Amino acid sequence: MNVLEVRDLATHFFTLDGVVRAVDGVSFRLARGETLGIVGESGCGKSVTALSILRLIPPETGRVVGGSVLLEGQDLVKLPESDMRAIRGHRISMIFQEPMTSLNPVLTIGTQIAENVVRHTGVSWSAALDRAREMLELVKIADPRRRLQEYPHQLSGGMRQRTMIAIALSCNPQVLIADEPTTALDVTIQAQILDLMLELKEKLGTAIIMITHDLGVIAETAQRVVVMYAGRKVEEASVDQLFAQPAHPYTRGLMRAIPRLDAEAEVAGRRPRLQEIPGIVPALNQPIAGCAFAPRCPFATGRCRAERPPLIETAAGHSVACWETARVLEAAA
Amino acid sequence: MSEAPSLEVRNLVKHFPIHSGLLQRRTGWVRAVDGVSFAIKRGETLGLVGESGCGKSTVGKTVLKLMEPSSGQILIEGTDVTHLAGGAMWPHRRRIQTVFQDPYSSLNPRLTAGTIVGEPLENFGLAKGSEKEARVAALFERVGLRPDAMNRYTHEFSGGQRQRLGIAKALSVNPDVIVADEPVSALDVSVQAQVLNLMIDLQDEYRLAYLFISHDLAVMRHISHRIAVMYLGRIVELADKRTLFSAPQHPYTEALLAAAPVPDPKRKKAGRVVLKGDVPSPAKPPSGCHFHTRCPYALPVCRQQDPPLIEVAPGHHVACLRRPAGGDPVPLTPTA
Repeated sequence: MNVLEVRDLATHFFTLDGVVRAVDGVSFRLARGETLGIVGESGCGKSVTALSILRLIPPETGRVVGGSVLLEGQDLVKLPESDMRAIRGHRISMIFQEPMTSLNPVLTIGTQIAENVVRHTGVSWSAALDRAREMLELVKIADPRRRLQEYPHQLSGGMRQRTMIAIALSCNPQVLIADEPTTALDVTIQAQILDLMLELKEKLGTAIIMITHDLGVIAETAQRVVVMYAGRKVEEASVDQLFAQPAHPYTRGLMRAIPRLDAEAEVAGRRPRLQEIPGIVPALNQPIAGCAFAPRCPFATGRCRAERPPLIETAAGHSVACWETARVLEAAA
Repeated sequence: MSEAPSLEVRNLVKHFPIHSGLLQRRTGWVRAVDGVSFAIKRGETLGLVGESGCGKSTVGKTVLKLMEPSSGQILIEGTDVTHLAGGAMWPHRRRIQTVFQDPYSSLNPRLTAGTIVGEPLENFGLAKGSEKEARVAALFERVGLRPDAMNRYTHEFSGGQRQRLGIAKALSVNPDVIVADEPVSALDVSVQAQVLNLMIDLQDEYRLAYLFISHDLAVMRHISHRIAVMYLGRIVELADKRTLFSAPQHPYTEALLAAAPVPDPKRKKAGRVVLKGDVPSPAKPPSGCHFHTRCPYALPVCRQQDPPLIEVAPGHHVACLRRPAGGDPVPLTPTA
């Protein structure tokens, strides 16, 4: 049963340099209690997808121009703003990369959690503060009673992100969107936060959309993965399928471009070359006729440059937007 | 005859004063770098890895003499430059160059790319006029930029191209040492691979010594020959990369390696040790071994005694009281 379904989502920004097609026809589903990873490089549209789901695109600059976002069948794109406000932080919550800029520096931690609880459940302030303390315990912040009285600057980066998670989960959302939640954190703290998120997911049954540029984070947290490039979904697979047999040339390129920590092929004294993906991502203010990856793709043909490839299921649960899948997989074998 | 290391630091210390109160009296010291020693040979990369606040960037800034060390020595190609200033430092400045993390804020937006890369040539009186132009054009080509891009401004370049500009600029004066502080952290992985490959090629070509500062263990493993792990101002382990990754001996290195996410879903990290708590403040480092507050193997003695950095095996240095010289690198058992 899907809790969230995104269909053909298109979000455009209207700039002096023309229309930027930040999200260009993206579809995916999120099952109850599932963790879906969305991976891609800067500008691929992964964050804009998240903001579009929550209708947080600043209206002066951009808007959702097409598609639908169904939360248990209800289309959020068409909802009046007042109804949307009742959903954010209640049924869908979001945590961001930089916890310091997402927390209000002049309010205590307790106030910021309780605020959300009162707003969505209408309980009394003291009941909401009780809930806040409970949440701090849940995210394993030591001495929660004292921390409730503290301000964000008194907390470490890891504790701030724990606080963000506490706020996000305070009303038992069905969906938690985490946009690069550990990118600003040190690696030992990152491990703590990822472990905590997975543990809470099990405990509360929240479905998670994990947005990241880091394939390592994807491998450790996600069950299914959507790979995005230039505003489009280019591949979707279970995490095991994706890493065992990546099918899109972009996904394959990404996997070979990352330096490996578990480099078993390392020869003594020699440093192997990383596989480069030549060129850079295309500008999104020009319409892209064919496959957006074609200019950088070693398999590209005339057709790739002219016609946009549809998503085709190559195996159960594994779909790829590529005209040359047969050649790509043959070359890989 | 053995040649002097390209860069050597001996017992480098950098403490920053903390001022507080109405009168801004000095109330303490941040021990950002607390006795660090290492040497880098020609053509070698030493990786300096650690989490925020461990002092790795301060080491970089101090060896570049962008700030004065509190004590200790810095030697470039065997010359002690620790106390050289102004004109006396000038000839040595050319020898040690830097590549910064953020290619967006480290290049002047009002100058053309050619001017930026050519500036050091002029500053050091190495070339001017048409000779400078020709050398800049050659540098552009060497780092993979088209020479006709010399007349463009930096905002017209992508992040990866800007980092190539930064590398060309550092390279322009034929340095011996390049200090690179997180040079690829701001780049996407596909572009990061291009820049890392370029840096490796240039190193092999010019026998450059790199002090490569990063928090990213996978990048480190790729580019470094030897790696020093820092924690709260001190080097806790220093070894060649194979040893460091296959048989780390310091509990902090072990935890750092276990915490790094590996892009392979089949390697589920069952039973990995996740460090508890945060890095303590370098203004109030714990007594004894700085790591004892988070160390799963700490003994009572670790709270009192500073572990010296000792050579436990040839080329492998560890600062841990539980790792004596010549001892077996057996896994430790956690203390309660």
